[in-house]
Amino acid sequence: MHKIIIPRFDPAMKTGRIIKWLKNEGELVNKGEPMVVVEGEKTVFEVEAPASGVLKKIFYQAGSEVEVLKPIALIGEIDEPIPKELIEEIEKIKVEKKIELIEKPKIEKPPAKTFERVKASPLAKKLAEEYGINLEEIKGTGPGGRITKEDVLNAIKALEVKPTLTEASIPGLTFIPIAKIIPLSRTRKTIAERLIYSLHEAASTTITTSVNFEKLLEYRENLKTSLGEISLTAFIVKAAAKALEEYPIFNSTLDKEEIKIFEEINIALAIHTEEGLITPVIKNSNKKSIVEISNNIKELTDKALQRKLSIEEVTGGTFTITNLGLYDVEVFIPIINPPQTGILGIGKIKKKPIVINDQILIKPIAILTLVFDHRVVDGVPAAKFLQKIKNLLENPTELS
Amino acid sequence: MLRELTYAEAIREALRNALIKNPKVFLIGEDIGAYGGAFKITNGFLEEFGSERIRDTPISEAAIVGAAIGAALMGLKPIAEIMYMDFIPICLEQLANQAAKIRFMSGGKLKVPIIVRTQYSLGRAHGAQHSQFIPAWFLQVPGLKVALPSTPYDAKGLFNQALKEENPVLYIECSLLYRVKGPVPEEDYIIPFGKADVKKEGDDVTIVAISRMVHEALAAAKILEEKGLSIEVIDPRTIQPLDIETIVNSVKKTGRVIIAEDDHKTGGVGAEITASIIENAFDYLDAPITRVASPDIPIPFSPQLELEYMPNKDKIIQAVNSLLKG
Repeated sequence: MHKIIIPRFDPAMKTGRIIKWLKNEGELVNKGEPMVVVEGEKTVFEVEAPASGVLKKIFYQAGSEVEVLKPIALIGEIDEPIPKELIEEIEKIKVEKKIELIEKPKIEKPPAKTFERVKASPLAKKLAEEYGINLEEIKGTGPGGRITKEDVLNAIKALEVKPTLTEASIPGLTFIPIAKIIPLSRTRKTIAERLIYSLHEAASTTITTSVNFEKLLEYRENLKTSLGEISLTAFIVKAAAKALEEYPIFNSTLDKEEIKIFEEINIALAIHTEEGLITPVIKNSNKKSIVEISNNIKELTDKALQRKLSIEEVTGGTFTITNLGLYDVEVFIPIINPPQTGILGIGKIKKKPIVINDQILIKPIAILTLVFDHRVVDGVPAAKFLQKIKNLLENPTELS
Repeated sequence: MLRELTYAEAIREALRNALIKNPKVFLIGEDIGAYGGAFKITNGFLEEFGSERIRDTPISEAAIVGAAIGAALMGLKPIAEIMYMDFIPICLEQLANQAAKIRFMSGGKLKVPIIVRTQYSLGRAHGAQHSQFIPAWFLQVPGLKVALPSTPYDAKGLFNQALKEENPVLYIECSLLYRVKGPVPEEDYIIPFGKADVKKEGDDVTIVAISRMVHEALAAAKILEEKGLSIEVIDPRTIQPLDIETIVNSVKKTGRVIIAEDDHKTGGVGAEITASIIENAFDYLDAPITRVASPDIPIPFSPQLELEYMPNKDKIIQAVNSLLKG
């Protein structure tokens, strides 16, 4: 008897949500065949059969949220009976988990007596609940100090209520007709939480420079005959990796009172998929050739689009590159991907007039934007780091 | 421009049209014939329609309503008049215990489509047993519909609907409104029962006003609007059936309600409307529902004391102010 479990794809991952079973109970399965679609905190992935046999029993249906490493189904031989103790053991886990789930919200709820002490109109209470306002913090201006609608609305204004992700508490939302409601997927929610965290925590600072891609484009064209088509991004990844070798401070994270420099240079690439943004990682970017990087990028992109990325392929990034040039964007300011220290945004390579030796020339130019955490490093080293990337891209022979 | 009629003229026109159009319609009541009605509504009817159709009766409300019920059961359309609302208890057995129930008890085979016209004379120093406004006494009678016109337009439209009803209708006029003028179309239009009228739109406070109080509420609204407040005035027009939906929609908009009526506060129509609002719109209230009504005492004979007793626009303004400022 083999247990199918939700693997831990990330050290921080505690649970996974079962999206869809790809096999039914009683169906024959082969080892390595996808069994179930699970949504983790960062991505959606497929769990494969650990062995060949019959899918004997499914313990959790689609929609269930299950702790990692806990069995969710069993595979065995056709006539192999499932040991009673095994079922009991698994059911016991389920029951214990359920109790925990029921009790949690009880603790989180504010004590019911709150409203007994606060004098507020029913409408004020309703609005306060909708907007996530604590009535105890509001002074009532109505008769006898009653909190009225106006008081709550004023409190909302004064507090500049920031909508949290879990509460639909955007001021004024109630008054706008809604055409469609899209529940936040866990992937979307994770993206939102992480980016908000980044904006709140990191001292994001932005610097830009323009890069002349003329030589690089020629160089790439020349390589074509011998090496085939190489993605432009691969050159940029390589350039960034080389620059990171020289300025390792950008390949780091701030952990409380320590700056931790990562050993490996793993460049994450932002890729857009239907489920949302995902950042597969090119491990040891600095040690790979441009061709290797290019192949790596292609492979990861294909996998991302087919939702086939494994968790190893999306974790461990130490620096991120994001490219919106394909979408005609010339300049943009990305958000640092925590826990990293920097992110590089690439704009569209566009023919522009530039002045070289007092002459106006037309060259393919792109704007590079470096956003870095000023808590970790200052502006001058950031400028030098960006300049290094620029120099490498403008002198591509130095890249290989 | 629509022609203008008084409230009394509008009722007279509706009655006269009914007599002309439908030979089954007849009027029955005290002093409605030779005297022309205590308030001259039926003046000249005896000459025009004859004593067969304009029946003066002895002073017996029980006889008036009892005879009307019998005639209705035989296929006629009686319009009975009870001179003062205060006298209805004398015929309450006929009205509430018989007329309202016969259709139900006969499995729908018998109908009592009578109209009982009456009026209340609060504010005319007619004394405690001639001035009462007691519509709530009839709210608890299933089978009985209760209409309370406040304008000449509503008076005619509601009366025309009452004519079409197959159930007994209590049609309550207000004698202080008889001289109030307003536009009234010549054709026989109908105002359905159970459809409240928003007499004035506003955003800050809803005043649900019944009968005469509609005019006091509108006068109060005008004064309050000068102070920058926006008042919505709603006239339910019929309290049985009651259009709670229109009231609730208004409460959802304003969050504050005042119910204004000439009735006593305790157990009045306002109490019933209050309960319905709580049931349907509790979460939309931003202040307690407030009732402006008569105190729980018999109506004073003295004109000065009666004026003190009566709810009016000043009391509504006071209520609005205390709702907002305490």
